[in-house]
Amino acid sequence: MKLVVVSAGLSTPSSTRLLADRLSAATLRHVDAEPEVIELRGLATDIAQHFVTGFPSARLAAALDAVAAADGLIAVTPVFAGSYSGLFKSFFDVIDKDALTGKPVLVGATGGTARHSLATEHALRPLFTYLRALVLPTAVYAAAEDWGEDGLAQRITRAGAELARFMAPATVPAGRGFGSDAGPAAGPGPGPDVDTAAAIAPRSLTGAITSVDPADGFEVVPFEQRLAALRAE
Amino acid sequence: MQFGIFTVGDVTPDPTTGRAPSEHERIKAMLAIAQKAEEVGLDVFATGEHHNPPFVPSSPTTMLGYIAARTENLILSTSTTLITTNDPVKIAEDFAMLQHVADGRVDLMTGRGNTGPVYPWFGKDIRDGIDLAIENYALLRRLWDEDVVTWKGKFRTPLQSFTSTPRPLDGVAPFVWHGSIRSPEIAEQAAYYGDGFFHNNIFWPASHTEQMVNLYRQRYAHYGHGTPEQAIVGLGGQVFMRKNSQDAVREFRPYFDNAPVYGHGPSLEEFTSQTPLTVGSPQQVIERTLSFRDYAGDYQRQLFLMDHAGLPLKTVLEQLDLLGEEVVPVLRKEFAGLRPAGVPDAPTHPARVAAAQETSTEGTQA
Repeated sequence: MKLVVVSAGLSTPSSTRLLADRLSAATLRHVDAEPEVIELRGLATDIAQHFVTGFPSARLAAALDAVAAADGLIAVTPVFAGSYSGLFKSFFDVIDKDALTGKPVLVGATGGTARHSLATEHALRPLFTYLRALVLPTAVYAAAEDWGEDGLAQRITRAGAELARFMAPATVPAGRGFGSDAGPAAGPGPGPDVDTAAAIAPRSLTGAITSVDPADGFEVVPFEQRLAALRAE
Repeated sequence: MQFGIFTVGDVTPDPTTGRAPSEHERIKAMLAIAQKAEEVGLDVFATGEHHNPPFVPSSPTTMLGYIAARTENLILSTSTTLITTNDPVKIAEDFAMLQHVADGRVDLMTGRGNTGPVYPWFGKDIRDGIDLAIENYALLRRLWDEDVVTWKGKFRTPLQSFTSTPRPLDGVAPFVWHGSIRSPEIAEQAAYYGDGFFHNNIFWPASHTEQMVNLYRQRYAHYGHGTPEQAIVGLGGQVFMRKNSQDAVREFRPYFDNAPVYGHGPSLEEFTSQTPLTVGSPQQVIERTLSFRDYAGDYQRQLFLMDHAGLPLKTVLEQLDLLGEEVVPVLRKEFAGLRPAGVPDAPTHPARVAAAQETSTEGTQA
């Protein structure tokens, strides 16, 4: 299983990356997955060039493919001007429109004060809803002051358990995992009905749900069908 | 294999002088470029169709009719003719007329245009883009292949016992290339009819071109027109050359950096590594063009974009000299040497007339 972490932090060290790593660790306590961190800072010019040229560089394509192939996604951005950063939005502007369909996504944001804590709800959540992702109920916002308080750790623990549960629904018994501090859950249990359509949708070689037939890279509707559809009307 | 040039017909200021040609100057330059193409021994000249500034070629058959009168051997084509927003009846008539005027030196590349608003300008809806391409082309085919057509469709007023005039020259309609950059539906359409597929790869990485061309080849075979290797493929490309590659890079860089289609994004070096753009010596252009075969297979038509980025006419004509004298003769020889038997030549009117006669003779005997 694969857990991909997208961090849009810009400084080094970055509190956005720190939150992303904490969320990742909290998730991995409950699920056995291979984590991969994508720092958007290193892809900033590639993303801008994608807008200009219409195609991704090899590096950016690899990052987009990794996100598409992930079993779970953690996406964390600093809050700029009351919302996600432009770089963060730009990355999700160039991703395939079907790449996140049905994928569990844990969203997080960082800011200087608690004043922007609802950015996760009014900015991040609708963005991922538009992309048909399964946005988890707990989003984690960390203001500068939160790094010295207990509440943040609890929210991180809760959020990580939620993501783990939806990444591996069969391994977490129903009713456990959500906010539970009981540690790794075990044993079979009924998984949530995440998205039946997504579960049976065609997947590309990278595992992303897609309209593309993995056999040749493109879906082909036989031409006779297209012609007949026009004639019938 | 055919070699030629295609033009977008943009009016772009020369970034080294800041001066933009007038529409009249640009149109006359396109005509001069087409005549130069014949003079230096190229096979094809193709013009785009656009209905918005800064582009000038809104009326391709008017322009190609003039060029037909001024040339002897050049095949006149389009890049592309808007199959979505033009009336298929008018396309059938215009290009059959041009075929007669040009003694058969005409083919056609269909496309869907490069700007969304062109649909409403001609009373169409962009959401019908693919369906328009399918219905309009199906009608165009019938208008050329059948003398009397009774037809009813979704997007156009019905036809009762309609005959498109003039009839195609020698009873053989212009060959059609279906141009597409990223729509698999169009590769499928080209394959269904056994027509040519032109992938305009100039802004795309090789991996994407390979995928599109392979899809077309597989589907061409699926529809029983031949083996995948026998499908009729065309590719684009864009180059700037000087004898010394460093001179080419130095001279072209300000054009690249400021051109509306290239500039203010990746560097010249990044763009040349990711797309077919080649800036260097004629030998580098030869090597790069031959490499297209590695991922697209043996193909039939190579069109170069030469009058791009606001280059002045004088420079473009020098580029065509280099292309015709130093690049294309080598490419002809090399590609011919590499092409296996069984891969067809690029379609021409005389060859297609001969093939049609052969088929009808066989039919009589049977």
